[in-house]
Amino acid sequence: MSSIPFLSRKQSESILANLLILLVCLFAMIPIATTVLISFKGERDIIRKPPIIFPCDTPTQSFDLSACRWATEGYERVIAARPSATSPLGFAITGRLIRTYIPNTLIYASVSSLLVVLLAGMSGYAFSRYRFRGHGALMTGILAITGVPLLTNLLALYQMGTTLRKANLPFYDDRFLIIFVYIGFYLPLSVWIAKGFFDAIPKELEDAALIDGCSPLGALLRIIMPLALPGMMAVFLLTFVNVWNEFIAGYLLVINNAHKPAMFGIYEFLGQNIINLQVLAAACIIIAAPMVILFLFTRRSFFRAMVEGAIKG
Amino acid sequence: MQRMIARRRERGWFRDTLPFWLILPTIIVLLAVQVYPAIYTVWLSLHERVPTGWNWVGINNFTRLFNMGLFNESMGHTLIFLVGYAGLTMILGFFIAQLLNRRLRLSGFYITLLFIPWIIADIIVGIVFRLLVVPDYGLFSGILQNATLLGPNGISVLTTSRPPALFGAFPFPPAPAMIYLILASAWRALPFITLLMLAAMQTVPNEIIESARIDGASGAQITRRIMIPIMLPTMVVALFSLTLSGMNGVGMVFSLTGGGPGTATEVLSYLLYSIGWRQLNFGRAAALAMLIAVVNWLLISGTLRLTRVQERSI
Amino acid sequence: MKRLWTLAPLLLVAAFVLAACATPAAPPAEAPAVKDFVTWYQYDQDNVDPASDERVGNEYLRQTMPLFNTAFAGKWNWVNQPKAFDKMAAEIVAAVQAGGDVPDLFEMGSGDLNQYYQNGTMQNLRGWAEQQSWWKDLDPSAVAACTGPDGGLYCVPLSSRPHLVYVWADRFPNGYPRTPEAFMAEAERLKGEGLYAITFFGSTAFDGEGTSRAIWTTVASFGGSFDDGQGRMKLDTPENIAAISFLREIVAKGYAPEIAFAGGFQEEEAFKDASAGSFPTGLFGYRYVNPLVAPDGTAYSKGNEQDMLDAIAAGDVILSSFIAAPGKQPGCGIEVNGMAMPVGAKNPDAAYDYINWLMTPEQNGVFVLGPGGGFPALLTTAQTDAFQTPFYKEAAKALSQSQCRSWYGTLNRVKEAQSLIMKTVYRLIKEDPSLDIATELQKAQNEYNAGS
Repeated sequence: MSSIPFLSRKQSESILANLLILLVCLFAMIPIATTVLISFKGERDIIRKPPIIFPCDTPTQSFDLSACRWATEGYERVIAARPSATSPLGFAITGRLIRTYIPNTLIYASVSSLLVVLLAGMSGYAFSRYRFRGHGALMTGILAITGVPLLTNLLALYQMGTTLRKANLPFYDDRFLIIFVYIGFYLPLSVWIAKGFFDAIPKELEDAALIDGCSPLGALLRIIMPLALPGMMAVFLLTFVNVWNEFIAGYLLVINNAHKPAMFGIYEFLGQNIINLQVLAAACIIIAAPMVILFLFTRRSFFRAMVEGAIKG
Repeated sequence: MQRMIARRRERGWFRDTLPFWLILPTIIVLLAVQVYPAIYTVWLSLHERVPTGWNWVGINNFTRLFNMGLFNESMGHTLIFLVGYAGLTMILGFFIAQLLNRRLRLSGFYITLLFIPWIIADIIVGIVFRLLVVPDYGLFSGILQNATLLGPNGISVLTTSRPPALFGAFPFPPAPAMIYLILASAWRALPFITLLMLAAMQTVPNEIIESARIDGASGAQITRRIMIPIMLPTMVVALFSLTLSGMNGVGMVFSLTGGGPGTATEVLSYLLYSIGWRQLNFGRAAALAMLIAVVNWLLISGTLRLTRVQERSI
Repeated sequence: MKRLWTLAPLLLVAAFVLAACATPAAPPAEAPAVKDFVTWYQYDQDNVDPASDERVGNEYLRQTMPLFNTAFAGKWNWVNQPKAFDKMAAEIVAAVQAGGDVPDLFEMGSGDLNQYYQNGTMQNLRGWAEQQSWWKDLDPSAVAACTGPDGGLYCVPLSSRPHLVYVWADRFPNGYPRTPEAFMAEAERLKGEGLYAITFFGSTAFDGEGTSRAIWTTVASFGGSFDDGQGRMKLDTPENIAAISFLREIVAKGYAPEIAFAGGFQEEEAFKDASAGSFPTGLFGYRYVNPLVAPDGTAYSKGNEQDMLDAIAAGDVILSSFIAAPGKQPGCGIEVNGMAMPVGAKNPDAAYDYINWLMTPEQNGVFVLGPGGGFPALLTTAQTDAFQTPFYKEAAKALSQSQCRSWYGTLNRVKEAQSLIMKTVYRLIKEDPSLDIATELQKAQNEYNAGS
């Protein structure tokens, strides 16, 4: 490669590397790009045999940009906007994926992530700063318990949900249970990540604060927490994405359909018909889009969480 | 003076027990959401449902599992899936990380692009990959099923059977669907592993590489003699996290192949789903869950041990 | 500043949560006298998507719920909780075992009866049902399908769904073949035209759902069965081997399209565009198989159940019994669709009222023409005009030539058997056509019988 004229070895290597990585990116994007493509096709182009990539062919030409038959019927059916007299916009979104399921998931994901951050922060700090009897065993135990497959654990959790519903607690509904369960699912890993972040904060800072008359709790809140904020943000994001993408627990443990999460919404479109491919693709994109956007805004914290989580946990 | 001592003592008590109070909520949540269900699973694995209630059957659930042809076969599928999935992801991850490690001007952009697959739910990834290869209608099917390009009938990913097994009952070579499942799973896991590798690579001090280069070491030599040994612990962790997620993930199989064609992608986690939640045989599913848990524990303890080795070595 | 940026998404999320919480969640309280009556259907009255897979059932509920609620105004308020078609069984079993929120009635197919029975999910309705006026009017075979191993009546049958063959008439100008030999000749001719003779549920998807469909239709038409009549599995019989060899030949010679094995009910696609000439499936299949394009290019594109009915009325699609081995009567599967009452139902009185309401000839007819998709369980209803349409006449004619029975016979662990049989058959006909049929069947039956 160094034989390319006018370029130093370093430059040509860098061009090659750029090209290679671009190629990798291209490959990584193919499934997403094609899904977007499918979601913008109309039914008559979906049921073509053999399939066509772009809905742009005419009887005479295989590709004619002016003949493209882009359609949004997939999105239209997911959003299901209907004229409405009461709505200020003149129409109302009746698609339950957008009206009900995605907002539900938003609540579950944010509330459980916030609580996971709180709990994992507390215990991660304790594990990082104190040595006590059973320290190692407890840390190991927290991780080991996640080894039992979730699929059978759900049965016990289902039973728990039933008992709780029967107890007729004031204000209680399935939403509390599912948030509680999600906290339990993602807490073990989060504790380990949080401990890793606290380990990285020098203990001297804290000691100095204690000598200056801070209480241990005060030191934790005033000195440690601000420093640990990026780490906690990472825990938040990781939990948020996991809850967002969770399917089976949300499906089984939430009884009331009005409280079901976003992944359940996919079921409405996961039919058997080829003609529904564009709708399914549109639904997939609508569910995944918030995560992608959230990720684009927060990717630095994200990367930190990923690496911490894996190396320590 | 006395008041100050009392206050101090109070503080001392609080300080001594602080870790306990900090950890307590976590313990309570985990006892309810993880420990209790795990114990219940153990109980279930020893029982069988009859119309009137639960019958104690001892280890019967386990022996029935071992006598099940599909269980034995699916251990083979699981092994192939794990090796393919972990191997492919590790190798690709390493090379992509190495490319990114050159601190290209657009690294941030590339990482962001590459990372998107990881945040998409496994069920959706499965659906998306399935859309592409639906026989006759999928976008890739047009190419793959083209008889002039590939074999006598072309390849239909979701339906072409696996070639005759080479080693007795062991399902190797795998069916196209299994390879496709591995590709799809690797596609989703790759960003994570790449990032991990990149992080580990960046811990390799630049001076060492520079001095090696001055001494005349080639790129391959630097990789083999310097990079890999330093990265080894992280790579082992990556490997374990891959096997653990591969062992337990069911969403992808569920939405991509449904265990088919035939039994070609019937991995243990999917078998668990289908015995438990489709055939509603919760006792036997619990027994299978216990077996999977044992494998998971082995993997977890391996990870922990190696992580400790890593901590000591730093 | 930088920290502010990382906080921005958090704030955004918090704002969303607050906004979402602000919308009122609790429905207005009902007057105390009216009690809720809860059902589980795989249909969803609130899903108005005209292209939804379950549009027929959705529409049915939308139409009938107000009727029932008016008829029982001040007494019952019918609340339907839609459940995904492949998750309802798991949920009802889990709900009953946990003593949780079960409906007062749920819709079920007789194919799931044993599974529910084994898990103690349903109540025996025989005592009550025998007292009702419609009892004597029920089709005895439908009652038999709802009867559990202990003789209890575990569902009230609403419609029987026999299996038959949907055929594009133009693909078989001499009529649908009656014998395997004739079929193979026609199939070879169609293959020459680049077409397929048949498409069927050939995949192992949905835990071997295919067992109950084309596999059973074939086996039954060759005089075979899956059990020995004593609750044990018996697969290794000459009849079964002949049936499987027949399917194996169809697959090996390329008479069936590849999509038949793709799972997810996608085998239907080959029939919709007439690339496959025939399609053995349930009578209720007409609800899902649309839109259609006939061999001559006629499009039936309403996109609902009317398409298939129109095609049948126009004579483009005919209904037929399956190909039978020489000297055998064509066989077929039959499933009964009915309502079951789970253990722990809170409002059985409403459930009884509902069943009585549903078992009037009129409502039974509406149900069967909607989601029931079969023949009415009430003999009186079957006589009404609604069931003298070309579709029903065709179906009755086809079925008069075949003998229908449920595929599992005396087998108790139905889902286990279903999955095991389908996987074995798939291996024999598709995955490895060189395997010895008898050996593999023997292996499967031994595995099943070891568990009983």
